[in-house]
Amino acid sequence: MNLSHEHIIKTVEQIVAKRGTSADAAIPVLQDIQQEFNYLPDEALKHVCEITEITPSRITGISTFYSQFRHQPAGKHIIRVCTGTACHVKGASRVYDAIARELKLADNQVTDSQGTFTLEKVACLGCCTLAPVIKIDETTYGHILPEKVGEIMQDFLSKNLNTNHRKASGPKQGSESMGEIRIGLGSCCVASGSEEVRLELDKILAETKINVNVKQVGCVGVCNQVPIMEIIKPGQEPAFYAKIKPSEVKEVILSHFQPVGFFNRLKNSFVNSFEKVVVEGEEKSFRKYSSDQRDTPISEFLGPQMAIASENRGVVKPCDIIEYRAGGGFTALKKCLDKLTPQEVVDEITKSGLRGRGGAGFPTGRKWQMVKDQHNEEKYVICNGDEGDPGAFMDRMLLESYPFRIIEGMLIAGYATGARNGVFYIRAEYPLAVKRINEALLICRENGLIGPSVMNTDFSFDIRIFEGAGAFVCGEETALIASIEGDRGIPRMRPPYPAVQGLWGKPTLVNNTETFSLVSWIFRHGAESFANTGTAGSKGTKVFALAGKVNRGGLIEVPMGITLRQIVEEIGGGIANGRQFKAVQIGGPSGGCIPASHYDLPIDFEELAKVGAMMGSGGLIVLDDTDCMIDIAHYFLSFTQDQSCGRCTFCRIGTTRMLGLLDKIRHGKGKPDDLVHLEKLAESTRQGSLCGLGKTAPNPVLSTLKYFRDEYEAHINGHCPSGKCLPLITYSITDECIGCTKCAQRCPSDAIDFKPYEIHAIDMEKCIKCDICRQVCPVDAVKVV
Amino acid sequence: MTKLKIDNTTIEVAEGTTVMQAAAALGIAIPAMCWRKGHSCHPSCMVCMVKDADRGNFFASCAMPVADGMNIIATSEEVNDIRREALELLLSDHVGDCEAPCTLSCPAGMDIPLMNRLLAAGEFEKALKVVREEIALPFILGYICPAPCEKACRRKPIDGAVSICLLKRFTAQEAGRRNANLVPEVIRTGKNIAIIGTGPAGLSAAFYLLRAGHGCTLFDKNEEAGGAMRYNIPAEKLPREALDAEIDGIRKMGAVFKLNTPITPAFFENHIIPAFDAVILSTGNRNQQPVEDFGLTAHNGHEFADKKTFKTARPGVFAVGNMIREYEMAVRASAQGRIASAEVGIYLNTHAPVKKLHFNSLFGHLTKPEQEEYLKESIPGPPVEPEGGFMAGFDAGQAVAGAKRCMHCDCRKPASCKLRIYADEYGANRKRHLGPERKALTRSIHHDLIVYEPEKCIRCGLCVEISAKEESLGLTYIGRGFDVRIGVPFSETIAEALAKTAADCVNACPTGAMAFKDREERIV
Repeated sequence: MNLSHEHIIKTVEQIVAKRGTSADAAIPVLQDIQQEFNYLPDEALKHVCEITEITPSRITGISTFYSQFRHQPAGKHIIRVCTGTACHVKGASRVYDAIARELKLADNQVTDSQGTFTLEKVACLGCCTLAPVIKIDETTYGHILPEKVGEIMQDFLSKNLNTNHRKASGPKQGSESMGEIRIGLGSCCVASGSEEVRLELDKILAETKINVNVKQVGCVGVCNQVPIMEIIKPGQEPAFYAKIKPSEVKEVILSHFQPVGFFNRLKNSFVNSFEKVVVEGEEKSFRKYSSDQRDTPISEFLGPQMAIASENRGVVKPCDIIEYRAGGGFTALKKCLDKLTPQEVVDEITKSGLRGRGGAGFPTGRKWQMVKDQHNEEKYVICNGDEGDPGAFMDRMLLESYPFRIIEGMLIAGYATGARNGVFYIRAEYPLAVKRINEALLICRENGLIGPSVMNTDFSFDIRIFEGAGAFVCGEETALIASIEGDRGIPRMRPPYPAVQGLWGKPTLVNNTETFSLVSWIFRHGAESFANTGTAGSKGTKVFALAGKVNRGGLIEVPMGITLRQIVEEIGGGIANGRQFKAVQIGGPSGGCIPASHYDLPIDFEELAKVGAMMGSGGLIVLDDTDCMIDIAHYFLSFTQDQSCGRCTFCRIGTTRMLGLLDKIRHGKGKPDDLVHLEKLAESTRQGSLCGLGKTAPNPVLSTLKYFRDEYEAHINGHCPSGKCLPLITYSITDECIGCTKCAQRCPSDAIDFKPYEIHAIDMEKCIKCDICRQVCPVDAVKVV
Repeated sequence: MTKLKIDNTTIEVAEGTTVMQAAAALGIAIPAMCWRKGHSCHPSCMVCMVKDADRGNFFASCAMPVADGMNIIATSEEVNDIRREALELLLSDHVGDCEAPCTLSCPAGMDIPLMNRLLAAGEFEKALKVVREEIALPFILGYICPAPCEKACRRKPIDGAVSICLLKRFTAQEAGRRNANLVPEVIRTGKNIAIIGTGPAGLSAAFYLLRAGHGCTLFDKNEEAGGAMRYNIPAEKLPREALDAEIDGIRKMGAVFKLNTPITPAFFENHIIPAFDAVILSTGNRNQQPVEDFGLTAHNGHEFADKKTFKTARPGVFAVGNMIREYEMAVRASAQGRIASAEVGIYLNTHAPVKKLHFNSLFGHLTKPEQEEYLKESIPGPPVEPEGGFMAGFDAGQAVAGAKRCMHCDCRKPASCKLRIYADEYGANRKRHLGPERKALTRSIHHDLIVYEPEKCIRCGLCVEISAKEESLGLTYIGRGFDVRIGVPFSETIAEALAKTAADCVNACPTGAMAFKDREERIV
C-alpha cells in the first residue's frame, strides 16, 4: 500500500472527528488508524498529537504497550497461531515453526518477502477443543498438523475464504413451519465449519422448499462435538447431529423432513438414493443422538452440569430479545426496580453468597456495598470481559451467547450501587463478542432498557463498550481502569480500591462477566436457591473451559464442590488416547497444577487455594503422562513474563530471571542449587509484586516444584521423563522402517537422506526436532529418545 | 488521627500519611528509589517494602496509607531480605560500572577518569588534587608504577590504553613547573606519630598524616630518605629530582626526618614507643630487619598485621609495605601508607572513619558496538607519545590530548546513586540474579547538559513525569514488561525531549542513568 501524506492526514482527521480529541480517546483512535492502514504510520501518530490533547509521550507509551498495535506494515493476510494452553500441549510451537519455515521467515521477521502473510502469536483464540488452532484473517483452522500448514495456506489463498457470505435466514413466509433447526454459532462452532454447514443448509432448504426455522444459537458448550446441529420437530424428541459436514446436511434434512412438491420429492429421493450408493460403505463422520438417550457422549457431557450463567444454552438466539424475555429475561431487573430498594438488592446478593468469578473470589455483595456506600453523584459499573488467560474462553462464550443476561446483571448492579454509567471492557481478540454486545445494547436502547429512564422508572443507566487492545494485565481492575482512561495498562497500588476511587477517580464497581451473568438468576430463583448450590464457602456454579487431553472438551458449568475426577472422568469422558491422567492445570497463568493424588479434590475457592492452585477465571487443562511439568511451568511463566506491564521490579525482572532458570533446567543445564534459587525467587516475587499478576505468576512454578520436584531433578540430571523438552531429546528411526521415504520427503531440514526401500536414518546435526517425520511415518518407526 | 505500630513503637499520625512517612517520624529510615517528594507516588522499585505483622504480607511503604491498628515491621532480617532481593534484581538488569576498571585495578584506587576529565579541561591543579586523594607520590610513581590501570583500560584493546601513568606524573610535574604551593592548611591534632622507614609506604603515610594535622617524625637507617626507591632503583628509571621533589614536599608540610638512625629493639621500646602517640612501621624487606625487633611475632613467617587496617598485635603500632608482604608494588605500598594513616586517626580518636561505598557494579568487557558507544565521548586515535620519550613525559598540550582519549567508564553519580548506596547498605550481591545475557549498553550524549545511559535506568518514571509537565515532546515509556525502556517519542533526540527539564530530571534520577555532563560529584 502506498500511503500519501494527504491520505494519512485526511484519514486521521476523520477518525479524530469521530473519536474525539481528549486524551482518553487515544486507544480507540489508534485502533481506528490501524484498522485503516493495517499498522500505525508515524506520520499519522504525529498528526494525532497535533490536533488532539494526546501528547507524543502518551501516544508512544500506549502504542508500544498494547500488543494489538503494529508499527510496521503487515502482510495482506495475518496468520494468528493460537498459543493458548490447550494448543500448547498439542504442539502449537511446532505449528508456528512450521509456518515460519513455510514462509521462509528469518529470525525476528514476521512478514514474508512478498508481503502476503504476517505471522503472529496470539494468547488464546478460545477454540481450545480444536487445538492446535490457527486463524488466517477471519478463517479459523483447527487440529493443525505441522506438515499440513503449507496446504492450509494454499487452501486459504485458493478459496479466498475471506469473503463474508453471511446471510440471515428466517422462517419462510406464508406457510406453516415444519420445525426448527438449531446451529451453534459460537466461535468454536464457526471454527469447526458450522458456517459452511449453515450455508449448505440454506441451499438445501431453498431447493427443497422445506419450511423450517433455522436458528443460530450461541455456544452449546459441547465444543468437542462441533459443528453441531439440532433438529426439533413438533411431536418428536429433538435429535442432535454432532460433527456434521456440509456434504452430509442434505441426507440429515431429508431424513426428517419431506420436500415440498411432488417433483421435488421425487428428484430428491432419487438423488438421495443415488448418493447413498456412492457413499455406501464409507463411514459417516457425523453422529446422531437423540436428546432422550442417556448414554451418549452429549448426555454424559451435559449430565453433571448445571446451567445458571449458561441457562438455556444451545436454545436461545443470542440477540433475540423476545426469546430472552420469554425465558424470564428482564423480570429480575423489573423486580429490583419495582419491589426492592437498592440496599435490598445488595442484601440479596450478599445473602446468595456470590463471589467474584474473575479469579480471587472476593464476595460480590461486599463489593457492591462498598460502592453503594460511597457518597458520590457519579459512579461506574464495569464489566470485565478482558479474559486473556490462555486456555480460557468462558467470558467470550457468555458475551457471545447471552448478551442480554450480562446487560441485565449490570443494570441491576447499577441500580443497587447508584451508578448511572456502565462500561463493557472486552478484549479486542473477541470481535464476535463485541458485535453481539453492540447489537444487544442497541436493542436494549430501542426497548427502553438502557438510557435515561430504564423500564419507565427514574433509574437511568447507559452502557458503552471499550475494546481492549491486547494486554493480559488489563484484566487487573486498576490496570483496566487506566486503560479506559487512555493510559498504559499499569496497575496501581490498592488501596484506594476502585470501589472508592475508580474510573475518573469515582467509585467504580468492577465485576467479571460471569459474575454479572449469574445475577438475574439469583433474583428470579431467590438467593437461597443459589446459596443451596455449592459448598460452604463457594456458592453456585462455575464455568470452566475444559480442554487438553480429555476425550470431550468444551465449556462446562458445574456446581461448586464437584470433584476433579467427576469433571475429567464423567464430563470429559476420561483421558484421550488411552494415556494416563497426570495433572490438571487450573486457573491459567495464575493457577497451579494439581496432581493425580488430589483427583478427588472438591473444586471451590478454598480447596484450590489449599493445594496451591487458584480458580483463576476457569481454564481447566487436563494433562497426561506425555506432558512435561517443567514445560508447563515454563509455558505459563513465559506468558506472564511476556504480559508483565514492567512496572514493578519483582514482576518485571523476577519473572524474567525465573524464566531464565527454567530455561536452563529445560536445556539440561540446571544445577541442584538452581532449584533452591528458583524457589526462593518465586517466593519473593509472590510476596513482593505490586499486583495480582506478579503475585500469582510464580504459582505454576511453585505448584510444580511442590508436586513434581522429581521431574525437575530428572532434568537436572539431563533427562526429560516425558520426552517433551527438545534440547534433551533426539529422534531416531528403528528397523521397522519400510523405506517408504515419506519422512525424507517431508523433512524440512534435509536431515533424512532419501533412500527408497532402505531403512532411513536421521542426521541429528541437521535435525530441528519438528516432529514431522514421526507424524508422517506409516509404521511408527520414528522414535523419540 | 490514625494510630499504628511500627517496629513495636506506637505512633499517631494524620490520616492519609503513608507508612513510610510515619516510619520517618519515628526516625526509621526506609530506603526508596522511585519515590520522590513532590511527585506522584507509583511504586515500582519495591525496595521500600515493609511487612504487615498481622496479615503476614509485604507491601511498598511509600504508597500505603496508614490505617488504624496497623502493626508494621520495618526493620527485620526478613524485611531486609526482600529489599535486598529487589536490589539484586535491579542490579541484574543494570549495565554500568560504579567505578571504572582502571580505578578498580589501581592498588591505590585513584579516581583516574576524574583526573582525565580535569586534565582535558585544562584544570591541572584540580587534577593533581584528585590524584593526591589516593596517591601521595604521583611524580615518583609516574616513573616507576607498573600501571595495572593501563592494562585494565577499556581503550587498550581498541587502539591502546590511555597513558594514565604519564598523565598522573604530569599533574605533579606541572605543579612543580608552576611552583604551585602544595602545602595544605590543616588543623593540628597535637598528636605525634613515628614512621620507621622512608620508602613509598612510609612517605605516603607521612603525607596523609600531615594532611590530617598530625605531627610526623620519619626514621631511616640510610643517610637519605626514599628507601628502596633511592637505593634499588637506578636514576635512569627514577630521576632523583622527582624523588627529591616529593620528599621535599613532605618536609615542607612539616615532617621531621631522622636519618642515619637504625632502630634497635631497645631504641624502639625506650625512645619511640613512649615518645609517640602511634607508630607506623614501613621498614621494607624483612630479611634486613625482622619484625621481632619491634616486639612483634610473624606467624607462619608473615601475617602480623591486619590486611585491612594494618594494625599489629601492639596497640598503636601499624605495619605497611614490603615488610608485611614481599615484592609489593610501590603503588600498593603507598596505598597502604594512606590507609594506615587514616587508621591512626581512628585509633587516636582524632578522626571518624570515612564512609566509603564499597559496592561496585561491574559488567565486564565491552562488545564492539558498545565500544562505539563509549568512544563517543573521547577523541579518536592511538595513544599520544611524549615527544622526548617516556622519561621526558608530557607537556601540557600532550597531556590534554592524552586525557581526552579517556572513554569515561566510571559512573557520574558514584556518590549519590541510590542503587549503589542501598546495595552497599544491604550487602547486595550483584551476581545473584544475573541473566544469561546482559543488555547492550548505550550512551546518549546529544544533550548539552546531560548524558543518558538507558541501561542504568530502573524504570521509575520520574523523568517521564517531570518532562510531561513542561516539555512539548518529553520522555515516555516504550514497550512493556522486561523490555520496557524510557525513551523519546518518535525517535527524536533527548536534546529535543528535555529542552527545559533536563536538570530536574538528573536531580530526580535515582541512578546514574541521567547525569550532568560537566558536574562532578567528587571534586575535591
